Amino acid sequence: MSSFRPQNNRAWLGVLPVVLIVAFSAVIPLMTVVNYSVQDILDFNTRFFVGLQWYEQTLNDPRFIEAFLRQVAFSLTILTIQIPLGIWVAKGIPQNSRMTPLILVVLAMPLLIPWNVVGTIWQIFARPDIGLLGVTINALGITYNYTSDPLHAWITLVMMDVWHWTSLVALLAFAGLTSIPQPFYQAAELDGANRWQMFRYVELPRLRGVLIIAVLLRLMDSFMIYTEPFVLTGGGPGNATTLLSQHLATMAVGQFDLGPAAAFSVIYFLFILLFCWLFYSSVVARNED
Amino acid sequence: MAAVDLQQIGFTYPGATEATLSDLNLSVADGEAHALLGASGAGKTTLLNLLSGILHPTNGQLHFNGEDVSQLSGRARNVAQVFQFPVLYESLNVSENLAFPLRNSGFARQVIDERVTYICDELELGQLLEQKPRALSLFQKQLVAVGKALARPDVSLVLLDEPLTAVEPKIKWQLRQTLRRVQADLQVTMIYVTHDQTEALTFADRVSILAAGGILQTDTPEVVYQSPQHEFVGHFVGSPGMNFVAADALSVSTAQRIGFRPEWAQLSNAGQLSGTLQRVRIEGAQQGQPAGLMVLDTAHGEVVVRGQLPDVQDRLIGSQLQVQVLRGVAFTNEQQVGSHEFV
Repeated sequence: MSSFRPQNNRAWLGVLPVVLIVAFSAVIPLMTVVNYSVQDILDFNTRFFVGLQWYEQTLNDPRFIEAFLRQVAFSLTILTIQIPLGIWVAKGIPQNSRMTPLILVVLAMPLLIPWNVVGTIWQIFARPDIGLLGVTINALGITYNYTSDPLHAWITLVMMDVWHWTSLVALLAFAGLTSIPQPFYQAAELDGANRWQMFRYVELPRLRGVLIIAVLLRLMDSFMIYTEPFVLTGGGPGNATTLLSQHLATMAVGQFDLGPAAAFSVIYFLFILLFCWLFYSSVVARNED
Repeated sequence: MAAVDLQQIGFTYPGATEATLSDLNLSVADGEAHALLGASGAGKTTLLNLLSGILHPTNGQLHFNGEDVSQLSGRARNVAQVFQFPVLYESLNVSENLAFPLRNSGFARQVIDERVTYICDELELGQLLEQKPRALSLFQKQLVAVGKALARPDVSLVLLDEPLTAVEPKIKWQLRQTLRRVQADLQVTMIYVTHDQTEALTFADRVSILAAGGILQTDTPEVVYQSPQHEFVGHFVGSPGMNFVAADALSVSTAQRIGFRPEWAQLSNAGQLSGTLQRVRIEGAQQGQPAGLMVLDTAHGEVVVRGQLPDVQDRLIGSQLQVQVLRGVAFTNEQQVGSHEFV
């Protein structure tokens, strides 16, 4: 059969722009990092090939392991809060009201604020001396100071991320909810479904697609979070809120350890890839049965 | 099951100046297969929503077995509905889908299992019980949706909202046959809403023709076809619909207009009407001769005649022919006032 297929390689020209863009934006920088990760770079003219030494060192570095565990804890925490909360918010948005566009715009506002500004907002907002939130909590008789108490710093960090990103989940879920045809609700009502069943058997199955996207986006983004915690806590108190990217930046920029930082980056990248793959394949596998 | 009785039902949408339905009366017997036939905009969907409890009548009353259910929800009325496209629970398999309404009604597990098995046998779904909806064809999905609507043994009324729309033409008849058989076996009261006359006439015990917010005629398909009570019914039912000519043209003085079906007329040398043959359409053959429709332009408008086509049909187009009307239905002010045999 294949011998009858007309040979026309000109089609490859059409793909060329994409290949070039992807090469320059992703493949070449990534390969540069891979290249750095197997060398000891003293300066740009003095390099030694060191094999997998930096990888071994990184994986055995207790500070890396701590930052990694903190990172996993952070991503899981914000996912467990943001996904249900986002769905709940989406369910509260009226679908055919004159208020709907306004609500959507207001909801989208946190997403439009530059990330370092988000960090600054919360840094001031949560301050126990002048911040509205900090002062209020302390006035209620609860001692709260995110700059000195690691737990408070964590709670503040999670609150900030929830405030910043729940809107994204809510908007995605809202888009999913509006695409459910009315007869599905009518049928469920005639079948005597209660509100929980309506959600569990009508809405949730039809939100699957957007929720997969939402979880993947939030998982990747939260795993790479840098700017907001950097502005809010700078990783402190101590190393209590030092997440992976913060640790990496300290190595690469602060200490100029290019080789170890590159190995760190590759490991970091592979972990994100692995988590997304694990999540996606487990969901898709359940889809097949 | 329930006998359904609509008494002077009227409905006006909030904010609308004109009523969508007014003074509508309809009785559907317990266990009857009833079709509501109407063109788009006739108020079919509104009537359907009134029956399913999504809307509540502005005037009049809706009775199920003599009990006023006008203001009750569809759930409280125990209505089930099949929609234009298959509406199933995608995360549940076929047998769980069928059991869903039964579980929510609090039936015992054994009763549920028996009922699901029974419905599956009726609809021949046995092979598919463990399948998820996404693995099924559109036809099978709609069959399961029908099964789900019929699952509860205590359902009072099953509404079908153009259930064959999404099914491909080739197997439409198959689903229609199945529906008809199941309806007869289970003796459920069914109301089938459609704009497709073939579906209405072949499915139902009785048909109601709906136009401009009211019911023009309710009768068996046979009577609706043979003796339309209103000119619109004669025109709307049949393909093509009735021909209408002024009564004088057929020497009738007791009515304004005479309506006759294409097959109630024939070409003849001694016809009452004469006209120019415009075009013909072959539908098949009668006694070895091509047969079909002949469209003539007469002094009383276009007239369509069904029957054997003249031998050399192409050469006759444009020629003057005479049409003999054998029988017709007489109308005055669009209402039927009797029928006439002209031979």
